[in-house]
Amino acid sequence: MKSRTVAYIVLAVTIVFAIAPTYRGQIELPVRVHHLLHAMVLVLAAFTGLLFARSAAPAKGSRAFWLIVTIVAPMLAMFLMWPSNYSPLDRLPAAHTAEHLGLALLGFLTAYAGQQYATGVGVAMSLSLWAMAFLAAWGFGVSPPLQVQTAAAAPTAAAAANAGTAPDPHHGQAVFSQNCASCHGAQGQGGMGPRLIGESSRKDLMQAEAWIENPQPPMPKLYPGTLSAQDVRDVAAYVETLK
Amino acid sequence: MSAISIEADAFAPATAADLRVARRIMWTYISTGLAIFFLMMLLGIAMRAEQAGWVTFDPGWFYALLSLHGVGMITAMAIAGLGTLWYLVRRETPLDPRIAYLAYGFFVAGALCVIIAVFPGKFGSLWTMLYPLPFVGTYWPSWATGVWLVGNALVMTGFMVWCAQILGALIARFGGILGMLGIGYVFNIRGYEEAHREPPSPQMFAAAITAIDGIIGSTFGLAAGIGMLVHWIDPSVAIDPLWAKNLIYQFGHTFANLTMYMAVAGVYVGLPLCTKREYHTSKPLAIAWWGTLLFVIIAYFHHLYMDFAQAETVQFIGEIASYLAAIPVVVVTVFSGAMLVHRSGMRWSLGSMFLYAGMIGWVVGGTAAVLDATIPINLDLHNTLWVPGHFHTYLLQGVLLFTMGWVFVTLEQRSATITSLAMRWLIGGTIFGGAAMFLLSFYIAGANGVPRRYAVEPAPGPELATVATIGALILLAGIIIAAIEALRLARLPKAQEAAA
Repeated sequence: MKSRTVAYIVLAVTIVFAIAPTYRGQIELPVRVHHLLHAMVLVLAAFTGLLFARSAAPAKGSRAFWLIVTIVAPMLAMFLMWPSNYSPLDRLPAAHTAEHLGLALLGFLTAYAGQQYATGVGVAMSLSLWAMAFLAAWGFGVSPPLQVQTAAAAPTAAAAANAGTAPDPHHGQAVFSQNCASCHGAQGQGGMGPRLIGESSRKDLMQAEAWIENPQPPMPKLYPGTLSAQDVRDVAAYVETLK
Repeated sequence: MSAISIEADAFAPATAADLRVARRIMWTYISTGLAIFFLMMLLGIAMRAEQAGWVTFDPGWFYALLSLHGVGMITAMAIAGLGTLWYLVRRETPLDPRIAYLAYGFFVAGALCVIIAVFPGKFGSLWTMLYPLPFVGTYWPSWATGVWLVGNALVMTGFMVWCAQILGALIARFGGILGMLGIGYVFNIRGYEEAHREPPSPQMFAAAITAIDGIIGSTFGLAAGIGMLVHWIDPSVAIDPLWAKNLIYQFGHTFANLTMYMAVAGVYVGLPLCTKREYHTSKPLAIAWWGTLLFVIIAYFHHLYMDFAQAETVQFIGEIASYLAAIPVVVVTVFSGAMLVHRSGMRWSLGSMFLYAGMIGWVVGGTAAVLDATIPINLDLHNTLWVPGHFHTYLLQGVLLFTMGWVFVTLEQRSATITSLAMRWLIGGTIFGGAAMFLLSFYIAGANGVPRRYAVEPAPGPELATVATIGALILLAGIIIAAIEALRLARLPKAQEAAA
């Protein structure tokens, strides 16, 4: 079988792999699993790029452009794997597909551009890309349970203001009903805002507090102002209990 | 400037014009690296003077200066080494000068960002920042953290560009990874001899290892760097502290180690120029470099011996890797270098003196590192001034001397002139004497348990800081005199022009 034919087959497999999960409807995957699936997309896409480069005509003229592409593409892929976007993307199949195809394109470009620059560079940069993607699964948006972190690790403003005060999920439920339920649903089942059931698999208490303190639009920023530091803590504790 | 087709011209000899361009690139890199080094040295002296009680400034500024000093010194030496190595590779295979300037642009942009993060940002958590430190409990504004992270990412990107270019060129020149690492040569020496094929020269091993390990290190560094940049923008994205520490030290330790391997290329080319003997590639040399290639990427584990959450097996791997990364290549290079000099009738010019002394500094700094990499000793020494003693020896009396040696050998060859005996004594005496005072203060303080990374030190820290400051000032004077002498040599006419 010709190299170009194999390349097209692998390309088809890559695209199917990239878009398939997005047709499963709303899915809730832990960040680590998400990273690993993305890494697989990148493996396939870069492999496709290597195959296409193998059967492509050597680049003419300056190759400096290709070197820049092969260096920048893995970094852009790492930015595209921004973990806090996973949860919203899980609920937006079209955006999720676009994100996967973006990753596939960056994986392809890393390998193809590297090989166009000089034989072997595409392979080296593909390995670099894969390493970054797999490394991400062990720490980028993924954190060990709170109790194994050092006591000094990342206290949030609310936590710092309430050092020593235990969070109260019951009070958090009341605050949630008044301020959050209109978007997230009375039981956190989702609505205009994302579903929060199972949020503890994506964010620990500290991360949930940090998110409430500094949310991304369109979620309103209620702290400080509407919510006190203790309210933030209690709501975060309540959200962690939603299973 | 015409583009260079790497594969088609892999064996094309460099023309005089090519070499002129390559030398310009080399001097651009070296002069930039040495200028940054000089400025960082001034910061270092200011900090030691503050610890000695000669001057007083806010501890916040101490940590900001320490941050700039640490990252600046390593980057400075890397820039100088990469320039030297680029030129040496260009002598043997085509390289596109524009890519060298592109990488240089990234380095300069990164350095500017880092400087802005410190002046006026007052960023103070060092390049060895351990998550969550740059984000939580800081006394500097948040923007300074972001600019610092961007600056570091730009330096890593520049390094990645440089490494990818050299990797591509060496693969084309030697027909693949096996050829560029001398694997074919080691397992088939007779075949090479019968075919009159030459193995890669020693300096090509330095270039190959720098390129491969540089890409690996930058991969780890950029993964951590981008992760932390995302966390800076979006604090809800968690970062695993142990993950971040592993990645930061993998890049940092590898990058710092590689500065030596970049600079040692100058020894492989410079010492033969002084001794009129060739530095041949041998089987032990090739195998020693393989050890460095493999083990330098995991030697950093010795920075994490005290992290209880790190798997214990990894700690023992780190100890063995630390030995294997450094010892073979030091032994082979230094032994070969000594044999090259032995009974060669070499004149002890400034160039040859710095190159030879650099090998001694490499051994001393390396021995201190090997001691620190030994787990029971590490537990006592790692958080003390012993470790700065090791890496200051490594950089000041190893990498810097190799770089200065290469600069002087080049200038001496160009002008066919060597420095007067009195001037050599003056420069040698101030540089080696000052360095001895400066470095011994670190080791003695470390052995006495004086902690590192503290603006204010317990006794006998301040007393030893006084000795260190005096030593550093003497060393500074020596370097200024050496720089003036280098400028004098550079202004002399070329040897052939003078003869004409």
